[in-house]
Amino acid sequence: MMTLKIQIIIAVMVLIFVAILFVMTVRKFIQPKYTLAWFLVSVGILILDIFPGAMVWLSNAIGIFSPVNMIFFVGFVYMGFIIFILSVALSRMSGRVTSLTQEMALLRKEIEDKEKEDN
Amino acid sequence: MRKLVIIPAFNEASAIKATVDAIRSKAPTYDIIVINDHSRDNTKEVLEECGIPAINLPVNLGIGGAVQTGYKYGVRNGYDIAVQVDGDGQHDPMYLEALEKVLIENDCDLVIGSRFIDKEGFQSSSLRRSGIRYFTGLIKLLGRQVITDPTSGMRMVSRKTMELWAKDYPRDFPEPESCLMAIKSKLKVMEVPVIMKARQGGKSSIHMLKGAYYMIKVTFALILEGVRSHDDA
Repeated sequence: MMTLKIQIIIAVMVLIFVAILFVMTVRKFIQPKYTLAWFLVSVGILILDIFPGAMVWLSNAIGIFSPVNMIFFVGFVYMGFIIFILSVALSRMSGRVTSLTQEMALLRKEIEDKEKEDN
Repeated sequence: MRKLVIIPAFNEASAIKATVDAIRSKAPTYDIIVINDHSRDNTKEVLEECGIPAINLPVNLGIGGAVQTGYKYGVRNGYDIAVQVDGDGQHDPMYLEALEKVLIENDCDLVIGSRFIDKEGFQSSSLRRSGIRYFTGLIKLLGRQVITDPTSGMRMVSRKTMELWAKDYPRDFPEPESCLMAIKSKLKVMEVPVIMKARQGGKSSIHMLKGAYYMIKVTFALILEGVRSHDDA
């Protein structure tokens, strides 16, 4: 169902992604808690790539005829989950940015007023 | 009694000075604070040159975040009354006196300047008017009070409302939602007839394309606000 060629291509792509992921984590472009989610996907894909039998077994187990459909389904759900978590994180973040921005502007105004008073 | 005019300004360099001058001559007992919402034009320079007190936001927050900055400023500096006047010259400051009178005589917490009580002056397009009527109905349903002009930006508030909004204020399209918020916090809300002018400069923050989104977003926000439980302010 998969040629050796595509198995190797997928494995190489995943390994390159994992390498990039780790470099970015080390350089603090991405926080470890998010790295973990992406690392888990990579490991999952790698396992299914090396043992395609696992994919057939899994799709039978959850009642999906075609393993490819299962990949789409599971992948879709997982991506949806990650994006949802990001929406929550982003909402919280934008609230914090708003408060900080207001606080900063108000403080600057206070400082300017003090300076004017002193002069 | 300390009184504050809050003027949110985003790219209002062409109209801001006239707006402030009008307030200074027609409502001289009010202090003025302009909240410059990180304008891309030279609003900041105009404010500095004219010696107009201003708070310059280092990033753009949108109308809700800008106005809330003004309420926070009012709370921290001991103001008893705050009124929001838009920077584009739509609101005539001669009405501040009428708003203030109603606020004080009725021991009121929020007084809204409404275009639709006497139905005079700039009435907006009929499409917008029906949208506004729809919000009036929705607020009546959720808050059991009729607000004829829930989208009006001309609002005067007591210290209590200032404190409520300094803590929590809607982000975008804030007027109808914050109005329901005040009603649900058991604050006393009233309206006063005013006449508004068409805009002097700048553009309305709501244009046609955004209209549908505006309706849906505000409907959703109002329903959420209706469901939310509130402590009495």
